[in-house]
Amino acid sequence: MFTQRAAGIKREFGSNVGGIGGGFGGRAPEVITHSGYPHRLQMYNKPPELEITIEEFESFALDRLQVLKAVEMAQLRGQGTDDCRRRINESLSKYLPMHSDRMGGTRPRQIIAERRKDHISHFILRLAFSRSEDLRQWFLRQETALFRHRYREVDSADRQSLLNEISFDLKILSPQEKAKFIEEMDIKGFYPQDEQLFEVDFRRVLDLVGRRQAILRKGRAYIAQSNLATLVINEYQKRLGRALEICAKALPRMDEDERLLPILQNMSSQYGSQEYQSTNAAGAVTADSVDSLTAHFPLCMRQLHGKLKEESHLKHFGRMQFGLFLKGIGLSLPEALLYWRKAFSRMTDDQFQKGYAYNIRHNYGMEGKRTDYTPYSCGKIITTNAPSSGDHHGCPFRHSGQDKLRAMLFHGGLKDSEVRDVADYAQKGHYQIACTKYLELQIQKRRGGGKPSVLAGSQANSGVVIESITHPNQYFDLSLGDGQLKNNNSNGSGKYAASYGSTQNYQR
Amino acid sequence: MLVTLPLVTILVEEDRDSSQTNDERHCSEKGRLFFADNSSPILPAAVPVQDILSVAKLPGIGQVASTIRKRMMSMALHKYLLTTDQVAALDPTKSFTHREFSFTIDNDVYIRYQSFKDCDEMKQEIIRMRPNKIDIGAIFTVQPKHAKMVQPGAFKPLEKELVFDIDMTDYDEIRTCCSGRRGVHCWVCDEQARCLDDAERKAIINYLTLIKGGSQQSKKVILNGNEEIHPHISRSLEIAYEHFDEIVLRDQGILDTEEQWSKLLSLIPDEDTRDTIDKIWQEDKTDSSFMKWEEFEDTLEKKMSKRGSNKQLEFTQKEIVLQYLYPRLDENVTTHLNHLLKSPFCVHPKTGRVCTPISPDDFETFDPFKVPTVVELLDEINSFEDQGADSQASTPDDHNAEPPRHASRLLPDYKKTSLKPYIETFEQFVAGIKKAAVKQDPLAF
Repeated sequence: MFTQRAAGIKREFGSNVGGIGGGFGGRAPEVITHSGYPHRLQMYNKPPELEITIEEFESFALDRLQVLKAVEMAQLRGQGTDDCRRRINESLSKYLPMHSDRMGGTRPRQIIAERRKDHISHFILRLAFSRSEDLRQWFLRQETALFRHRYREVDSADRQSLLNEISFDLKILSPQEKAKFIEEMDIKGFYPQDEQLFEVDFRRVLDLVGRRQAILRKGRAYIAQSNLATLVINEYQKRLGRALEICAKALPRMDEDERLLPILQNMSSQYGSQEYQSTNAAGAVTADSVDSLTAHFPLCMRQLHGKLKEESHLKHFGRMQFGLFLKGIGLSLPEALLYWRKAFSRMTDDQFQKGYAYNIRHNYGMEGKRTDYTPYSCGKIITTNAPSSGDHHGCPFRHSGQDKLRAMLFHGGLKDSEVRDVADYAQKGHYQIACTKYLELQIQKRRGGGKPSVLAGSQANSGVVIESITHPNQYFDLSLGDGQLKNNNSNGSGKYAASYGSTQNYQR
Repeated sequence: MLVTLPLVTILVEEDRDSSQTNDERHCSEKGRLFFADNSSPILPAAVPVQDILSVAKLPGIGQVASTIRKRMMSMALHKYLLTTDQVAALDPTKSFTHREFSFTIDNDVYIRYQSFKDCDEMKQEIIRMRPNKIDIGAIFTVQPKHAKMVQPGAFKPLEKELVFDIDMTDYDEIRTCCSGRRGVHCWVCDEQARCLDDAERKAIINYLTLIKGGSQQSKKVILNGNEEIHPHISRSLEIAYEHFDEIVLRDQGILDTEEQWSKLLSLIPDEDTRDTIDKIWQEDKTDSSFMKWEEFEDTLEKKMSKRGSNKQLEFTQKEIVLQYLYPRLDENVTTHLNHLLKSPFCVHPKTGRVCTPISPDDFETFDPFKVPTVVELLDEINSFEDQGADSQASTPDDHNAEPPRHASRLLPDYKKTSLKPYIETFEQFVAGIKKAAVKQDPLAF
């Protein structure tokens, strides 16, 4: 391996990333205090100003990327659970350990090195992930989740010094003020009695407001001490979001260093949510054959298909979710127009042409801005556009009532105990695992009831084990291929692993 | 820094007194229902009069006489837009020139991202394009018609009114009367509200939303039994209980038939309780909804006393009351800066009724069927001018010719019609925004 000095890095960091500035205050061993990394948790306000080797540049960044992927996967499996926490910690201790300076046992030199790596790797990935809105969103989401995780793991002294570092327009209510507020609002018992009450602009604590964990009065949010974490995490997210935009704007001006650019591009191409690439050639499915394939549809699509038959109509997001899914399984535009025309049987041709045909052509990139839209992923279906009255879209594991879900599972041929298992996953928030499990059972039944095998974790008791479902079209392909993807490539897990980073290990 | 501003009041939990004045609805025995009212007991209570413009979306004629458009549309609206210009920190005309207008022409084709340099240009375009519908969008960084001339990222929405939308169709699963295609918008127009970004709007709507879930989830209100009820919910409950008998039991008669009451039963999570109540109701099916509700309450009480304090059952009743009465807000309209808003004073393409602003003072007396239709308006203008013509010999319809010095020539067209009071409501509202802005200390920003 060559060790070339990457002299350009310093300049790039310096010019591209608008640092907000500010030093840390701590009471760690002297050598740490003066190292430039006095604090365990960083807001990453200042870009690193140093020289590193190309080798370090790459390995630091790739290690952090492993952590971010682990964070993403852990969250998918159930945000906030102990299991999630454990998974992130495992990944952190492997790739990006950060020891406390007050616990002892770790040499200051090592602590500084760990923090330096944390600092540098963050900024390299900032560069790598600032080039498109999609990448920025992904990076922001994972980094924020990582920050949240770390904030919860560190001790109160670490938190306190972080708080001192960030300045808010945060007002602490005196005990008298607190009592007066509680009296005026008539809210005895809403806030913990022994905690301080803080008043802050509601825009600083949007998620507390959204979850009604705060009380609003005249645009001010009143929050309990125990919710301060949210405040800090929001501030982190806001600053990082802004910094990424600044970085993106400066990116075109970056010296095109032929040593760095390929590395950066390679990194961002590693990330999760590249959209599903359908391998089904358009035309593989016709309007008439859709109904014969429903056995391979995931529950969300079966539900939409069923409701479409029943009501001869679907509302907007239902049409989007189902229409793009059909496109993904190989329904061509002319066939799609035919299919939807037949499905909306109570409508006149005129109504159909006016109200719906445009949108269908639009989905196929033939109208408007001519984007060739891709089918929705599970992540998108689960987290955006939750269904409201009259809607049938969404993820049944996420958006259906327990009774409706159980009925659906039972209808799908599951035994009582299996229904309970799958519904349990859903109830605990493991929607995609529930879906995976459901498909495993379906395949098992189709094969004539494979022997239950003893397997670890979520796959226990199921004879069939497949990769985690992250996309309705992946479900379809897996179901159709009886657990195997049709177009398996050499590493065995095909396009989904490549797209979602869930099972793939990056080879250095 | 936020100063005390109108918007803010929408978030306020205090304004308790005004809630008591909302003791009304327009759902009379004749089966007419206007949703501004069914749902207003809660929302307006939190919103002070001068800060809100409510625009009724009324059922309504495809082709609208272009005369009306030419003469009446958008005058008051234009005035509003210009006023916000003066209020805004923006340079004086941006709120109009950088504002998106969308025209919907035949075949429901939306022509988005249009903008105009002034009122005259807008009028000319309206006359030329003859849109069936006009929507208003956000104020953008560049004039929307020039959006394609700038770099993709440089065209962004900056401001838009904060709007809450209640649609009749969202009530389909619980209402037993009336036709759909109606609703009410609540506009909050002070500067701080207009400048909120999507995330901030989302937080506000989440704070206010209690009814969640699609058609696959019958139970749409779930209170967290482990936590103290949030003051927003407890206040909403107070108001909802006040109106429950009248609206839900009397007017809607939600327990009158078995089909109706089975919907309510499905909201009770406890099977045992559900069966007990069903049995009681089955015994005398013709009992009034009032009677049945009393039986329901009794049963719950008994069950609760038997099992000690049972939080879940205690909450069940509250959840049901909220599910039937709490406003169902269309989240997307509130959340997205880029979401189009139906223009005030536009005409509903089906019924021809004008979309009018209502002052929260007038909720009690507002009757959607008394709102003028476009045909009536045209008649009114004509008859107003005919009267003038009688006394004046002739009124040549030529603007270049010296018009006769008569009142009808000096009055703007809209003042000759029954639209007048609505326009005045709008003007008062606009004046209110101006006043609120003046009161602010400019240094506070």
